Amino acid sequence: MTTKTKLLPVLSALTLSLTLWFCSSISVFSPEAYKQAVDLKVESLDLMSFATMPYADYEEEVIYLNTELDKAFEFSKGRPDNEISTEQWEILINEEGNLLGGFLKRWETEGSLSEMFVTEMQILISDAFDTIIGLESGKIDPSEFK
Amino acid sequence: MSTFNEFVSTLKNDLLDFAKENLEEYKDEILKDGILFIEKAKSDLERWTEGLASGALSKADFEFLLKGKKDLAQMEALKQLGLSKIRITKITNGIIDVVVGSAVKTFL
Repeated sequence: MTTKTKLLPVLSALTLSLTLWFCSSISVFSPEAYKQAVDLKVESLDLMSFATMPYADYEEEVIYLNTELDKAFEFSKGRPDNEISTEQWEILINEEGNLLGGFLKRWETEGSLSEMFVTEMQILISDAFDTIIGLESGKIDPSEFK
Repeated sequence: MSTFNEFVSTLKNDLLDFAKENLEEYKDEILKDGILFIEKAKSDLERWTEGLASGALSKADFEFLLKGKKDLAQMEALKQLGLSKIRITKITNGIIDVVVGSAVKTFL
């Protein structure tokens, strides 16, 4: 057997095993996850703009948004090799934290929030969603591996 | 054996070119993201302290925003971690292409 014929199967096996190993380290791009994050960013920022008004008037909308956020978190958690994105969602929606989950909880507790606080929190939440969207859009499209 | 040495030499050069092209680009990108985050944090802090002084923000608001910025920094760090993993995957795929390309150039 010549060097050439010996080397090619080895290279093919190396290519395949390295590709499979590295591909498994982080999830591939999901159009559904991307759309979910973009939609929830728009809906969240929109609802937040009403937080200067009484919480009681928007309770139903907040409950609905929280359910949608929980769905996005669970969807992220269910995807293989998606721990990093899931951790991002966890920080964003944590009621004990200081981003969206904490903001909605504070609105509920205090009844209404000051205008500047709401505006500044909208900037933070927008950036927070962008970290999720930015990571998802940076992921490799599965078609690139074909 | 001489063909194999030729392959190793071609591979070394091809990998060097690949590393020069890719690593420089990624280094600049990471640095740019980091500087942007620090600059934004500085301007946020300026506005928030002004808001606190004018009474537009309460002490609790100010504290909440600061902690929010810390949570955001964590999310940004996670994004960078994820993107680094993606870059490693892309670089690995690139290296595989270079190895296969060098082998094909030399042996076929």
